[in-house]
Amino acid sequence: MPSATVGQTPSLSTYLKSLKHNDIETSIELFISLLKRRQIKNSRPCAIATISLLLRVVGEARTRDAQQLIERIRAVGRRLVAAQPREMAVGNIVRRVLENVREVAERDQDAADGGSEGSTSIPSTPIRGETMRRPAFPTKFSEFSPLHGAATIPQDMHARAPLATSGDSSPAFGGTMEAALQRPPLVSSNTSYAGQGPAASSLFSILQHPQGRSPYATPPTGTQSPALKASPFKGDEGQTSASEKLDIKAEVITSIQDLQKELEEVDDEISEFAQDHIHNNEVILTHTSSQTVQRFLMKAASKKRKFTVFHAEAYPNDHLETHATIVNGGGATAEDADERWKPLTSMGITVILIPDSAVFALMSRINKVILAPHTVLANGSLIAAAGASTIAQAAKTHRVPVVVLSGVFKLSPVYPFDTDELIEYGDPGKVVPFQDGEFMDKVDVVNPVYDFVDAELIDLYITNLGGHAPSYLYRIVADHYRVEDIDLSGKAEGGAVKAG
Amino acid sequence: MSEPTKAPEAAQLAEEAKLSPAELKKRAKAEKQARRAAQKGEPGATGVPVPATNGTHEAPKPPKQSGPQEQKAQGSQQKGPPQQKQKQGVQEGKHERTGSIQQPLPTRGMPALAGPVKEVQRKDKKQVELFSHLYTQSRRQDIAGASKNVHPSVVALGFQMSSYEICGSSARCVAMLVAFKEVVQTYVTPSEVSLARDLTSRHLSPQIDFLRSCRPISESMGNAIRWLKKTIVEIDPRTPEQEAKDYLCDEIDRFVRERITVTDQAIAASASALIKDGSVVLTYAKSSIVEKTILQAHANGTRFRVMAVDSRPLFEGKSLATSLMHAGLQVEYLPFSGIAYAVKEATLVLLGAHSMLSNGRLQSRVGTAALAMQAHKADIPVIVCCESVKFSGKVALDSIVLNEVAPSEELLLPKATVSHAPALDRKDDDDEDRQVRSLHDWRDIPGLQILNLMYDVTPAEYIRMVICEYGNVPPSSVPVVHRLANEGIM
Repeated sequence: MPSATVGQTPSLSTYLKSLKHNDIETSIELFISLLKRRQIKNSRPCAIATISLLLRVVGEARTRDAQQLIERIRAVGRRLVAAQPREMAVGNIVRRVLENVREVAERDQDAADGGSEGSTSIPSTPIRGETMRRPAFPTKFSEFSPLHGAATIPQDMHARAPLATSGDSSPAFGGTMEAALQRPPLVSSNTSYAGQGPAASSLFSILQHPQGRSPYATPPTGTQSPALKASPFKGDEGQTSASEKLDIKAEVITSIQDLQKELEEVDDEISEFAQDHIHNNEVILTHTSSQTVQRFLMKAASKKRKFTVFHAEAYPNDHLETHATIVNGGGATAEDADERWKPLTSMGITVILIPDSAVFALMSRINKVILAPHTVLANGSLIAAAGASTIAQAAKTHRVPVVVLSGVFKLSPVYPFDTDELIEYGDPGKVVPFQDGEFMDKVDVVNPVYDFVDAELIDLYITNLGGHAPSYLYRIVADHYRVEDIDLSGKAEGGAVKAG
Repeated sequence: MSEPTKAPEAAQLAEEAKLSPAELKKRAKAEKQARRAAQKGEPGATGVPVPATNGTHEAPKPPKQSGPQEQKAQGSQQKGPPQQKQKQGVQEGKHERTGSIQQPLPTRGMPALAGPVKEVQRKDKKQVELFSHLYTQSRRQDIAGASKNVHPSVVALGFQMSSYEICGSSARCVAMLVAFKEVVQTYVTPSEVSLARDLTSRHLSPQIDFLRSCRPISESMGNAIRWLKKTIVEIDPRTPEQEAKDYLCDEIDRFVRERITVTDQAIAASASALIKDGSVVLTYAKSSIVEKTILQAHANGTRFRVMAVDSRPLFEGKSLATSLMHAGLQVEYLPFSGIAYAVKEATLVLLGAHSMLSNGRLQSRVGTAALAMQAHKADIPVIVCCESVKFSGKVALDSIVLNEVAPSEELLLPKATVSHAPALDRKDDDDEDRQVRSLHDWRDIPGLQILNLMYDVTPAEYIRMVICEYGNVPPSSVPVVHRLANEGIM
């Protein structure tokens, strides 16, 4: 079937073409092999390929159930992330899609429930303890202790029993859930706190909210609560009409297409901010052949700003692309003429190519450093092409501001516990050709592809949402990802739901 | 009528000589235009008319003045004429005395003329403006234009230096002195002068100029030349010629031996004591003294390993790694981008120097400063091994002041046989001809420059210790050692 791609090096474009006529399993396998063989590299191509694949996965999913859809996406995502864990854009997109699905499902549940007083429906994320009722009170007492359950637990908590998550996202809730399993269900009307207005009247509930969802969202009375102990959500969904189920899939597809559009427009949105940051007579230092940075600078140049750019060539992994970008502009290999763009020099900007070793020497005359990352981590630090750490350190020494341009799709909810693991090591043949047999034999040649840059070295992040300090990124992470999706491993939800 | 006006014109030219070349260019253009207008207009008129009308001038002048003013009307601003009026006021006295039109001082009304000339110049400029002070002499490519007095061994040496066959401060210094020995031997004292006076100016200077035209001379070479000139001058004029020449050759030998060869051994012995068992020594590019130190430590039986960091375009680190590999050491080789990885494991950084500056800073191969910074941040001691012949009295605050800019072509990669970008069928070669160009066409691309720096300056706070033949000193002691060692030469 993929006859058109025979004879061409597998890459993003061939993969996207093949997606149209391959079946799903083949496509997934193809993508996994592309990732493993590093034929698809860098955040943006991986993100584009992942989202196209997930679009097909959702399109072909037979299920109408949001929960099952989530499971399917998680399963696929697990395989993709395992194929190349350091390509975090893949995982980011999977988590974004999951967030979209959950949000769509919640919205639909809201609509299905009709006019409950300010109630949010039970979401298809059963783990979200705080939605229907008062949030769980985390108790650390073990189940065997006589004190277990002695702490104040809202009486209607046990209805949510089977939906304990394991470990990762809400360990505290898990304990409560299991405890609640053992208690007899109580009629909701007996519940003490629920029912007297919004639960937010208790400061307690504010402290319990893991996702910062407004406590006003909890309903005053647990409408669906006690009767649905076993699998309240399944039952609930059974009640909603079939037409709303259909909507879930369609709406998810729409939201994925929106995400695709966001990926395409990322560069344009980031360049909108170019005018605020680049002015006349500035001297800018940049690094590698990043398309985002080039477009950003071109936007400033198109506003008739005259500045100078020192461009470090990022030898040995990216220098050829950097030279090509400086000389020819971008998209030289794109078939669509619209995607090509002129080089910066054609807009009257002086571009000076320098080897990476000259960065410290010139830093005293640089006004601004603009970097593009490979991945941005949740605490504001980033993984960028090798050499970025030296540049950022030198900039800090000379008090030069460092600006990082990245789309939100590069922002990963992962916290860098072990920075060494996030660095990928590349082909030593790029440093010393393998023809130097004796040298390669006796000397250990190391070629790190990425560098870890700490959050303190960065002054500003510009994303498609605007400019932020590194300390704000955790908020964006919270807005775009759900806590329960951070760990894509299967043991979390699937077991609990099916048990019910 | 023209003569009396020429004199004050000349005086005016003299006082305006200190104006910038751009303004002089403007004025030259205005002169040419005025001359053209003058040929059309009154025959008696002199060189440059006033570009703006001045009410105090006589009647015949205004039409001539308005002529060229119309020509410049396209670009000149409104504020031009009033400003020139002000400037004219200064010249008022002269005007009335001679009764002729004087050249005005260049004013803001003129730039429009010079505009196009400047634009074209900027487009063709391939020199980085930041380093314009370093582009004074382009490197010699062949022997054409060399003085006939240049000795063949110096010619050979010059080309060896410019092609980086002999690269490195100490190596160049020694090679130069060895070549100068031959130069001294071929010298013949002419009849009325003494060797002491004549050798330097007539025979040695062309050699030095030739070497400088091949590649800017290093600090060690500079110190050696100063020492040599001093030694020559101190020769007793009564010494017979051959004896004097032999004396000079012996002195050169002694200099090389004392200040470079033996010094290197002493520094190697001292620095190798810093390398302990289990050390991971990080080094950058190729320094002969660091190589000697490492080999000495290895010969002492210390078990350690070496990480060699390298950079474009010279790849000196690779030759260091190769020679250490042949000696049986365990070597790890990294590109410049691997510095962040390297400082995670290194325990000691050993650096060589091009020169030590008097404010404690180290001038060395470009990239050294970045490595020293990363090592300093990782709390790794940075040790510099440097002979006193490289110590300098100069100071620098950044890497721009004292540096060497190498030809940009050295940064270009060898031309690939297969073009990098795949050729697409371009049926629609619409808009700007988008032929895929490579970096080799950089000269044709306006606005694109390539900068190939040779040195950078490392701040003193990143350097823990400097090892020279006078001992292990902190970077702040460099001026003291310089006075001690190179004293009397400066």
